[in-house]
Amino acid sequence: MSLLEIWLGILQGLGITAEVTAYGLVFAVPFALVFGVAQFLATGMTRFVVTAVIEFWRSSAVVILLFFFYYVLPVMGVTLSALTVSSLVLGLNAGGYASQAVRAGLQSLPPGQREAGMALGLSRPAILLLIELPQALVAMSPTFVNNLIQLVKATSLVSLVTLTDMTFRAKEIAQTDYDPVAIYSALLLAFFVVCYPIALAGRWLEARVNPERGTSRGI
Amino acid sequence: MLTQAPHPVPAVQSIPHVRIEGLNKWFGALHVLKNIDLSVGAGARIVVCGPSGSGKSTLIRCINGLEPFQKGTIQFEAATLDKDGRDTSKARRQTGMVFQSFNLFPHLTVLANCTLALRRVLLKPAREAEEIAMRHLTAVHIPEKAQAYPAQLSGGQQQRVAIARALCLNPRIMLFDEPTSALDPEMIKEVLDVMIALAGSGVTMVCVTHEMGFAREVADEIVFMDEGRIVEHASSRDFFSRAAHPRARLFLDTILSN
Amino acid sequence: MGFNLDFALSTVPTIIGAIGTTLIATVLSCVGASVLGFTFEMIRRGGGATGLAVRFLIDFIRSTPVLAWLYFLYFVLPFYGIRLGAMTVGILGLSLYYSGYLAEVFKAGIDAIPRGQQEAARALSLTRRDTVVFVIAPQMLRNVAAPLGNYLVSILKATPYLAILAVPEMLGRAFDIASETYRYAEPLTVAGILFLALALLTSYGVKRIEQRLLAAGRR
Ligand SMILES: Nc1ncnc2c1ncn2[C@@H]1O[C@H](COP(=O)(O)OP(=O)(O)OP(=O)(O)O)[C@@H](O)[C@H]1O
Ligand SMILES: [Mg+2]
Repeated sequence: MSLLEIWLGILQGLGITAEVTAYGLVFAVPFALVFGVAQFLATGMTRFVVTAVIEFWRSSAVVILLFFFYYVLPVMGVTLSALTVSSLVLGLNAGGYASQAVRAGLQSLPPGQREAGMALGLSRPAILLLIELPQALVAMSPTFVNNLIQLVKATSLVSLVTLTDMTFRAKEIAQTDYDPVAIYSALLLAFFVVCYPIALAGRWLEARVNPERGTSRGI
Repeated sequence: MLTQAPHPVPAVQSIPHVRIEGLNKWFGALHVLKNIDLSVGAGARIVVCGPSGSGKSTLIRCINGLEPFQKGTIQFEAATLDKDGRDTSKARRQTGMVFQSFNLFPHLTVLANCTLALRRVLLKPAREAEEIAMRHLTAVHIPEKAQAYPAQLSGGQQQRVAIARALCLNPRIMLFDEPTSALDPEMIKEVLDVMIALAGSGVTMVCVTHEMGFAREVADEIVFMDEGRIVEHASSRDFFSRAAHPRARLFLDTILSN
Repeated sequence: MGFNLDFALSTVPTIIGAIGTTLIATVLSCVGASVLGFTFEMIRRGGGATGLAVRFLIDFIRSTPVLAWLYFLYFVLPFYGIRLGAMTVGILGLSLYYSGYLAEVFKAGIDAIPRGQQEAARALSLTRRDTVVFVIAPQMLRNVAAPLGNYLVSILKATPYLAILAVPEMLGRAFDIASETYRYAEPLTVAGILFLALALLTSYGVKRIEQRLLAAGRR
């Protein structure tokens, strides 16, 4: 196989990589928003429960989470497709990380912002939605871009649960062609081509959002 | 234009500790020091003043080799700095530097800040280094803080430690770059008092400062800089009574009216 | 075939038995990544063509998944006649992957030291070497301690990747049991719980050390 053929062969898996990322976001974004805000607002027992859920998703090893849900859910009588399980696990893991950015972003706003909202007679939910969240999300947007890159990279794991993503394609090609240098270089390059532009976008965003800290670099 | 001092300045006539000749310095295209000539005699106490951006810090930093320059020479007794900067380390050994922002090492105690160079540069044994350091810390009235860390000290205390640290190496000449301008008003005096005592002990010093009270009391020469040039160089008495250059007059008027 | 608690408990000793392998892999990878990351950052700081090349390498590493790097090393090294055990390859892979992140940590740790520190050291006639050893390095270590601790936890959570190379760490052992007994749910659950506990414990320890350092920094 020529280098180009290997490369094209691997790119056949790009569809699955993109699909898992997209469905992963469907889980990640709401989770990050709801749990990040909840951790910011909640107190006492509620806060403990919210924190426990977040910690389960972000402090577990993602490899184990994936295998666990892939093998254990059917035993519990829940059968989901490999694509659904993968998106759910990778998405909630990424969402767990992003929730911490949401909470940190909210916490780092000066209290004067909320007080100004209260002085204007806004309700607590209105203050959150109209004043606090927009600022926190903008400030943390470079971190979310990093979370997205981590999600894209984590999709390589779905090759272990039978999905034919780029990593899976590389291993398939490796079974017929003994050319590991070309094949695995091509795999690395394929991910680089996807992730690096996102990283550059993240840096651009960082420079916009955080001009004085513009030297810190994305990815 | 270089205004001659109306009266001969006494200190300049003894053997100079440092002789700066034709010093020129550019930052890229920006010409920040223009043909600076200045002799610092043994025991001289020179105050450098002038408007912001006139090149005072740059001049001080050139003297101890922190900034390279493109033209001219700075001669010490046993070393000459020029554009090649070969003698930089020799020249540095003869100068002590006190920064506006103290620049104490935050991870070292006050004593360790003072002994570091004694031990690593002058290769003194620990005991002797500590004795020297304690002597200088006593001179700046802060021996009791020897085991404290810089963050535990007030700004004035930190700057006094920085002075002691520089003195430890027994420099021929002490350089100060606005040593009090980062301090709260109530701490300025304690640092100036230390510097006045230092001047009284015969140490040669070049000091960038806008503390005109200090200049009047301590300096025997005043150097006034504007746009990279020395435009007025006079004995302290003459400078305050009849500075000739209009920029110097304006500067004095604004500074003294505050 | 439901979840058999007795069977699950019976797998605990075997899986815990592999904790040594997990911890060794974690510590060695963290040391390797730190050494490599610090070296990368020093070269990048030096500038020039090599500096630029290393800057690109760091970006490349950060834009590619750890799994792809593990495969790359696992299959490419033997191709060049370099035969290493799976554990060694795994540690190399994790070291290389995380070096890209630790290089950034060291960069931030050095950039945070004010310029005046170097100038004061020069004004005191300290040599270049003494300046690094006595002035820059101690302050850098204090700055990087906290992020380094966080990456130690990240690396711990990445060690289950080594199971994919058949390294007998905790997840690997769980899979061994699964393939012998055809029961996946129990050993994977046990491995998941143990890993989560280990990760939480480590990050708690890291936080404690961080607080002590902070307290020391405020002296
Ligand atoms: N590292 C540098 N790079 C480029 N330009 C510089 C640098 N340092 C100083 N300058 C410029 O050189 C000129 C002289 O600066 P310098 O700091 O010597 O002035 P100064 O007289 O000490 O002023 P101030 O009273 O504000 O401390 C200024 O125009 C300044 O902007
Ligand atoms: Mg200045």
